[in-house]
Amino acid sequence: MTRNAMIDEWYPVGLAGQLDTHGRQTALMGEPIGVRLGADGNAKVTGSNGRALPVCIRYGHVWSSLGDPQKALFAIPEADQPGRRLVDVGVVRVRCSPLRAVENFLDIAHFPFVHTDILGAEPHTEVPNYKVEIREDEDEVWATQVKFYQPQAAKSAEGGITTEYMYRVPAPTCSILYKTCPPRPGEWDVITLFVQPLAEDLCDVWPWMALFDDETSMADLIHFQQTIFLQDRSILENQIPRLLPLDPGMEIPTRADLTSVAYRRWLKRHGYIYGAQLVAQ
Amino acid sequence: MPAQTPAGPIALWRSRSGRAAAFADRCPHRGMRLSHGFVRGETLSCIYHGWSYAQAGNCLRIPAHPGLTPPETIGVATQPVEDSGGIIWISVGEPTARPPRFDGLAPLRSMMVEAGIAALEAAAGTKADGGLLDCAQNAQALRLLLSPQGKARTLMHVLVDEGTGPAKRIAASRAAETLRRKAEDILRSEVAQ
Amino acid sequence: MKLYDYVLSPSCYKARLMAALTGVKLDIRPVDFHPGAEHRGPELMALNPAGSIPILEDGDLILTESSAMLVYLAAKAAPQWLGNDTALQAARVQQWLSFSHRLTGSLGAARLHEMLLRPGDIATLQWQGMAALRELEAGLVEQHIRGQRFLASDRPTIADVACFPYVALAPDGGVSLDPYPSIRLWSRAIRSLEGFIEMPGIHRLHELKPEPVLDAGEA
Repeated sequence: MTRNAMIDEWYPVGLAGQLDTHGRQTALMGEPIGVRLGADGNAKVTGSNGRALPVCIRYGHVWSSLGDPQKALFAIPEADQPGRRLVDVGVVRVRCSPLRAVENFLDIAHFPFVHTDILGAEPHTEVPNYKVEIREDEDEVWATQVKFYQPQAAKSAEGGITTEYMYRVPAPTCSILYKTCPPRPGEWDVITLFVQPLAEDLCDVWPWMALFDDETSMADLIHFQQTIFLQDRSILENQIPRLLPLDPGMEIPTRADLTSVAYRRWLKRHGYIYGAQLVAQ
Repeated sequence: MPAQTPAGPIALWRSRSGRAAAFADRCPHRGMRLSHGFVRGETLSCIYHGWSYAQAGNCLRIPAHPGLTPPETIGVATQPVEDSGGIIWISVGEPTARPPRFDGLAPLRSMMVEAGIAALEAAAGTKADGGLLDCAQNAQALRLLLSPQGKARTLMHVLVDEGTGPAKRIAASRAAETLRRKAEDILRSEVAQ
Repeated sequence: MKLYDYVLSPSCYKARLMAALTGVKLDIRPVDFHPGAEHRGPELMALNPAGSIPILEDGDLILTESSAMLVYLAAKAAPQWLGNDTALQAARVQQWLSFSHRLTGSLGAARLHEMLLRPGDIATLQWQGMAALRELEAGLVEQHIRGQRFLASDRPTIADVACFPYVALAPDGGVSLDPYPSIRLWSRAIRSLEGFIEMPGIHRLHELKPEPVLDAGEA
């Protein structure tokens, strides 16, 4: 078997704000790991044989890797903009492939059926054409000009509006969503999905947000994102097979799924197949 | 609703006009279980993206592309279904005969037993004949139609005489619970040995 | 009336659902239960030393048990939901209200373990959850034989609202609902009620609405 190409990637393994000296026992790609606050005040991550693993703290989370990361964690320049509120949404465990969790995050066509009356509503089910590309310089998947009807854009909003989204996949189990920001036209709200692969068919999902919103309480913001993700969870745990099929004959995409098609192609090209199924079984 | 057949899991559903159909329990789009879907009129739709399917299994509608007529190649595998005396029968492949009829009997309830048919036979103290187990439990005659769900589980359909009154039907339901408990206890004590 | 609420808590959802079904307007105060553990903070501990949510506050009344909230909401706004027409019905309501705590301790704890990584012996919790579901299924079969669609009568009562959330969310804790046809029908009957609201993990019954068509000219 070839070396797992995903081994050298950074993965979220805990909330930076909740680190303590007792630590958190968790796992990364099948290997038990421990995440704790060291005596020197820095985060420590150890592998199963006690070896120290690489650590970085970014976007509210502790990140680590079983391998030897060749580059720094991807940048989210917007995260450092002043005036944004940074929201730690917390962890949710899902019995599915980490790659399925990311692919669902990239999908908008399910909004009317799964996030009914929040992110979408019948009869506004049409997904207009949008642009998808693999940006070779950054080596990232991007979808832009994604537009979809949203029945209730904000708590105060009467009636629906068309919301614009951009999606970005900078790492095999991480995705960033940019969404039009009603209080600040011209800026984008940032909503991320950071996925910690525990096993090929089990993951801990850490959503995180950087928003322009001075009105809504922190608890409300957390509840909103947890609501959305928990609506997805019952889908993700009922997809067959649990692993993401990379065999094109296994599932049928349409034009609305071009982001997913590009994501699968990009995974395959890089050999990012932890959590994927290559041949139909 | 979800169900199991030797050919794999199925989504069993009844249309508004009352026709039952059995689909492979997987939407070909993104693999979501169709048994979580919803029925509108004569179609079953997937809960994930709303793709809807006719009783023959062909895809009729993809909501993300309302103007598109789905190609005929998109569809789900179906299995023949027959509704006979209140019992739904599924055939794997084309059926060669009609399902059996149980004249004078009416279905009461279906229960999953976490044990194989052998444990149920041991609990009942008698052998099943053609999938039908006749036994007495709690001084109550029980007729059970058994459908194996793999080796370690059995779907047990409880039948009662037509015209049985509520008190006796409740007693039959409770007797079936007792039999299930016995069968599962037998299995547990076997495992413990 | 103020409800200290966590959107993912089935016990909080009981109060929200009861209020929606009986037309009571609640003042919702969101609590950062996860990840912030705000329910263990000084403000909420002062209201409820047990450190649990939901908490329902109305004047100087403070309720911390969801079953009591159901009784209070029903008695105030829609007494028919109390289900105390006959001795039999009143007893059945109490039976299922008490039973609902077993659902919380089994299916609820399994769900917290599987979803939010709380400690617990998952195999035992799931097994206890399955045992409780079997009891509920048997109870509903008997009710159906009696010609009644709900747990205590042919009308829904607070007993149904007390049992529904943890049952409907059993799959979140890795406990399948596939083997229970009567629970399935009962769950659909509840989800079809006028005023019913969902919570995350319980999908909309899209079949209640005909396939909507876009009016010409509407975007």
